[in-house]
Amino acid sequence: MVELTINGRVVHANEGEMLLAVCRREGFRIPALCHHEAIEPFGACRLCMVEITKKEWKGWSNYVTSCLYPVEKNLIVLTDSTKVIELRKTVLDLQLARCPNSPEIRQLAAEYGVNQTSYEPVVDGDNCILCGICTRICEKMGFSAISTVGRGHDKVVAPPLKEAPPDCVGCLACSLNCPTHVIPYIDNGSTRIIWGRTFELIKCSKCGKPTITRDFAESLSKTKSIPAEYFEVCDECHRREISLTMGSIANWEREAAK
Amino acid sequence: MSHDRGKLEAIFDRYSRQPESLIAVLQDIQKEYRYLPGPALLETAEALKVPLSKVFSVSTFYNAFSLTPKGETVVRICVGTTCHIRGAKVIQQQIENMLGIKAGETTPDMKFTIEVVACVGACAMAPVVAVNDQFHGGVTVAGLKRLVKKV
Repeated sequence: MVELTINGRVVHANEGEMLLAVCRREGFRIPALCHHEAIEPFGACRLCMVEITKKEWKGWSNYVTSCLYPVEKNLIVLTDSTKVIELRKTVLDLQLARCPNSPEIRQLAAEYGVNQTSYEPVVDGDNCILCGICTRICEKMGFSAISTVGRGHDKVVAPPLKEAPPDCVGCLACSLNCPTHVIPYIDNGSTRIIWGRTFELIKCSKCGKPTITRDFAESLSKTKSIPAEYFEVCDECHRREISLTMGSIANWEREAAK
Repeated sequence: MSHDRGKLEAIFDRYSRQPESLIAVLQDIQKEYRYLPGPALLETAEALKVPLSKVFSVSTFYNAFSLTPKGETVVRICVGTTCHIRGAKVIQQQIENMLGIKAGETTPDMKFTIEVVACVGACAMAPVVAVNDQFHGGVTVAGLKRLVKKV
């Protein structure tokens, strides 16, 4: 156990825990765009910056990304000091310049009083903040279908050779976890189109509703040993089946008790 | 460019097909073909058991790698701060005029490629021009003509 102070409150944390997790658990709100529970901290969006100091630092303090900073004994953390707010404003100002049309960035910036960027906005940009959640989560899912391509100004998220990615299964992990929702996909009942590839959507054998893509189901049954039949039925129909099963178990138990 | 399987296999074997030798393998492919052909990237991914996306990410990250064929002679003009002050712009224009292409381009006969680099770390010799990794310091417009003629 490590004892530290966050915004004047003494809190306890486990050794090795990151500041962001501890602060959030204690109810202190810290914005972050590149953070995702399922993947390693990345420190890309710079929004989770907090001020840290210690008694023995004699008034000196430091500003760190809380997602990447492990807790330390006797650390004094300020999540909303004047300087921290200032830093976040600057970051949001820059992000607003990059993504002037992103509702998510605009709202977050507005919360910090940044309604207009003081930089030259990228008018026809793609609203991608290059947080890397999509590529990292794709890797975590076991596919590594997309990655960042190029560097500096030219860096973008793209599939290899900028062609339809051979390793993609259309699971949507990239698109659904994107903080600025800039990875498009089209579902039209029987097919899904994402990253320039078209996937077949499995139709629920009970109700006909589309479930997941055939490729994703095949990958899951292969790597996670889930029977392929499981994906032939949608979640709702699965639940209906469960209630029937539970009902028959209850009946059976009643019969057995007699 | 049709890539030669045998050559690629030899490169993979040279590094025991270890994933951590990805960059070394790509460097050798770049040396062999003067660029990284798409099919070679696919085979690298397969041989080294590295996701294709990672191979592509690395190939596009480093300036040493190119996905388009480069000329036999690569002329690198340093445009770092010191070279800039000592007239790198003029040198660049001169070379561009001589070869009839812009920086970043390759002559249609695949003989020359012009590249600009930010700093080659030889500021005392500024302005510097590297011709196929042979460094030339204190380059002048007149000297340039001789240099290009030689190659």
